[in-house]
Amino acid sequence: MTGLAFVWREALAGLRRNITMSIAMMLTTAISLGMLGAGLLAVRTIDRTQDLYYSQLAVQVALDEPTSAGDADCSSPTCTGLREQLQGDPLVGGVSFESREAAYQRFLRIYAGQSILQLVRPQSLPATLRVTLKDPTRGDALVAEYSGRPGVRNVVDQRALVQDLFTFLASVRNAAFGLASVQALAALLLISNTIQVSAFTRRTEVGIMRLVGATRWYTQVPFLIEAVITGVVGALLATGGLVLGKLFFIDRLLGGRLISNAIPAVGMSDVLLFVAPLLVVIGAIIATATGYVTLRLYVRN
Amino acid sequence: MLRLEHVTKLYATSVRPALDDVSMDVDAGEFVFLIGPSGSGKSTLLRLLLREETPSSGNVFVANWNVARLANRKVPKLRQRMGCVFQDFRLLGDRTVGENVAFALEVTGKSAHTIRTVVPEMLELVGLDGKGDRMPAELSGGEAQRVAVARALANRPLVLLADEPTGNLDPETSDDIMLLLDRINRTGTTVVMATHDRQIVDAMRRRVVELHLGKLARDDARGVYGASR
Repeated sequence: MTGLAFVWREALAGLRRNITMSIAMMLTTAISLGMLGAGLLAVRTIDRTQDLYYSQLAVQVALDEPTSAGDADCSSPTCTGLREQLQGDPLVGGVSFESREAAYQRFLRIYAGQSILQLVRPQSLPATLRVTLKDPTRGDALVAEYSGRPGVRNVVDQRALVQDLFTFLASVRNAAFGLASVQALAALLLISNTIQVSAFTRRTEVGIMRLVGATRWYTQVPFLIEAVITGVVGALLATGGLVLGKLFFIDRLLGGRLISNAIPAVGMSDVLLFVAPLLVVIGAIIATATGYVTLRLYVRN
Repeated sequence: MLRLEHVTKLYATSVRPALDDVSMDVDAGEFVFLIGPSGSGKSTLLRLLLREETPSSGNVFVANWNVARLANRKVPKLRQRMGCVFQDFRLLGDRTVGENVAFALEVTGKSAHTIRTVVPEMLELVGLDGKGDRMPAELSGGEAQRVAVARALANRPLVLLADEPTGNLDPETSDDIMLLLDRINRTGTTVVMATHDRQIVDAMRRRVVELHLGKLARDDARGVYGASR
């Protein structure tokens, strides 16, 4: 189709003509999309952190003193009964037993060299049934169900203990997203404005083109292509920025010994395979949609 | 080829109609001068034919198109079959002479091959062969108008509409342009030309349609400019 080559040439010529405006638009789009991308990465990392924690978190059903004292392998009727009930529960993924002695050994390992060891005797620790859930958010149901049963001292949902941390992380994520949305709105308006200016400076030309019999395809598609190119270039710049940000900032931040076990690293594949394609698509869609609406609203010819 | 049936055009900004119950026919191959003082409705008539305006009442036909009722998306098709030339040339200033002519072909979807052959043909027709690489700003008024004519003819239009094509040109250059339009007419293209250049009208002795205050005042088969005064 000859028309396609033609509108491409027109679009590139248009970008050259408005070079300063084009660059300004690309940079604003890049910054906005970069913020959005950073927000997306934060969301992904927070989700991963959550998954990591949830996969290790469990509901602990602590057994009462008589059962803990006398049962080293969950062979007592109380313990066996509880275990079978738990295993039959539709919420439950798996159940494992930790005897009082095993718990004490783990305690010794964790707090090796610390003075608390002198205060703790095996008798202080209960034997527990560690229950992993199919849906980690349903721990409260299990707590309600098994608290106060015979042989049960108490039921603790570990997830409830770290809930505050996740609530905090979620608000960080939301803030990042909110900021990104404001930036996206700014980019939207800027793209719209640039297209208006671009169309306005060329209104005489467009008028002549229409008189010669040019369809909207010839007079408007070049503007849309200009907008899309700007959006995509902006997205690529944003991706470049995120890659640099990952290499020189996030890797160092999360690479510390303390934090590297707590928060999973942001992988290059997260940036290039997850965020980058999203940004390109979002950039292109925002630019096209804004361009189209602007032309419909402001350009009568 | 062209037909106006009781066409009235009222602009919102004026009480007096720009065109007032005008009916006329133009056959294929005719050369028609549209004369009258400024504000008599000449340009409005041409704008109606090009569907830059729609009539307040009445019908406008170009070939088989009912122009006033044409769907917006079909307007480009109509214009692709009409050539138009203006007093101010209306060339695209950021393109060469050749590209200006090529543009009219591009919007009708002609192949690159056709464009490469037709553009030099058209430039030769209007006497600008070899000047395809010039920019419009480097041209004299006469040359610029020739480019406009070449562009108007590129798609072999049914009719050539010219709105004061000599209005910005000196008499000698005007004569050249008129010779060109006459030659084009003799090859079969219908020409409608709005003008108030008395000399040209008197010299050509073609059909003259005179408008006065929006009304059809005179329609002579072989007229002169000032016959009715």
